[in-house]
Amino acid sequence: MSAALHPASAPALAQALSTPHSLPHTAADLVAQPWLASLLGVGAIMAFLTLNVLFLIWAERKVSAWIQRRMGPTEVGPYGLFQTLADMLKLISKQLITPSHVDRPLYLLAPLVVFAPVVVAVSLFPFAPGLAVTDVDLGLLLVFAFAGLGIIGIFMAGWGSNNKYALLGAMRSVAQNVSYEIPLILSALAVVLLASHPEGVTLEAGTPSAHTVPLLGTSLAHITLAQEAQGYWFVLVQPVAFVIYFVAALAETNRAPFDIPEAESELVAGFHTEYSGMRFAMFFFAEYTNMLVVSMVATVLFLGGWDGPLLPGPVWFFLKTYTLLFGMIWVRWTWPRLRFDQLMRLCWGLLVPVAILNLLGAAVLAEVL
Amino acid sequence: MSAVTLILMVIALLGALVAVSVRDIVHAIFGLAGALLALAALFTTLGSPLVGAMEVLIYVGGISVAMIFAVMLSPHVGRDLRETPARRLGAALIASLLFAGAALAVLSGPAVPDTPEAAGAFDPALVGHALLGDWLLAFEVLSVVLLLAIMGAVIIATREPPAPADAAPAAEEARP
Repeated sequence: MSAALHPASAPALAQALSTPHSLPHTAADLVAQPWLASLLGVGAIMAFLTLNVLFLIWAERKVSAWIQRRMGPTEVGPYGLFQTLADMLKLISKQLITPSHVDRPLYLLAPLVVFAPVVVAVSLFPFAPGLAVTDVDLGLLLVFAFAGLGIIGIFMAGWGSNNKYALLGAMRSVAQNVSYEIPLILSALAVVLLASHPEGVTLEAGTPSAHTVPLLGTSLAHITLAQEAQGYWFVLVQPVAFVIYFVAALAETNRAPFDIPEAESELVAGFHTEYSGMRFAMFFFAEYTNMLVVSMVATVLFLGGWDGPLLPGPVWFFLKTYTLLFGMIWVRWTWPRLRFDQLMRLCWGLLVPVAILNLLGAAVLAEVL
Repeated sequence: MSAVTLILMVIALLGALVAVSVRDIVHAIFGLAGALLALAALFTTLGSPLVGAMEVLIYVGGISVAMIFAVMLSPHVGRDLRETPARRLGAALIASLLFAGAALAVLSGPAVPDTPEAAGAFDPALVGHALLGDWLLAFEVLSVVLLLAIMGAVIIATREPPAPADAAPAAEEARP
């Protein structure tokens, strides 16, 4: 898993090493005008996210169908690939219904507030050495900060809808998200400890001369570089943290078995009960993009990001990310939904204490390694 | 002053205005969240992404959500809660005095040089070393303050007569 194995990334990496705290070839360097660069970056991210959502919803239907011994969508396009596109066109053309007595500003703002932060979060990821829309030292911190903003939008939707199901769903969602954020971040912290090398690590990176660079555990690119330098992915030394992270991520994205905020059998559709057309589609968009974000974080933290033999960096990055996403879909169609008290007991009674103990263990490990 | 800074300042002020002027307490919370978000962007554009990130993480994502929690746990949420004019005036006075004091302290202090070294003072690694090194005691005392605040909240919450409408998470925990 050494970086020397994929020569394609070597020049960029070599350049990256000469400036320790930021990778140079971000989109901003490619285009002289920073505004144009930002626009291009956001445009590329939006195009990618749209494709991702179209694909993920199709994948969800196909995987659920396989698990239930059905065919899934087959009619529109080969293997039903264009089914989601057709659904999207339908949603765009649908009338936007605003129920009476909603809290209008909140009701109309909510889909945007849920949607915008996840887009910001995606733009922070390094897909390959030097390939990121924005590359910042505090990448991990910012991803968690923005991913955590979604619940404000969910509460806006539930509160503004003037509907008891929506309000119940939103209240459950806020309680659940706030609780599961603790094990989520505690498990990520264990990796941050291991990835921080203020004294510097030596990277060969296929360049003639070896470089010694200090690594900062909060930078997404540096976490990946640390795994390249040490020659193993952090999932091997932090399997407990990986499991805790994955479980907490399922809860953070309101995925089954933690989908009680939108439990269909009791709450109709939870916080987005009163939304139709494109407004509903935006909640869906945000939900699937959120899945992508937590999977990309797991890829960077535990599976070495772009690191891997032979194939170019981005291919590895997305291979790992979509394997994790497949896992999330698999879990959803395999486990039944938890009850609310079970959900809370799992978090506070099991995940949080184990995550704290694991963090202590990681601190010891970071000293030893 | 760049256009971006100006726009962000206007957004922050508008959000703050919503926070103190609307009758609906939920709207006020979201106004505050918007103002804080604009502040975070301001910090970032003014050269301190660390403070900006912290603003988003702690104030927008933490404090605003804590306020939402408080609304959810309150037995009756007043959509028409309003302080008396005298109290509003008093609050405005205290806030203005605090702001004036802080502004005076900053303006009368030594000017921060516009150099890379000065910007480097916000390096997360340096801030981390300062918090867990030289200022460890202050850092730990702060966590005791937070603990006291949580204990105080528990005492206030349990002292009241049994709530008429049961708020969801509290009722869940109370059940044996």
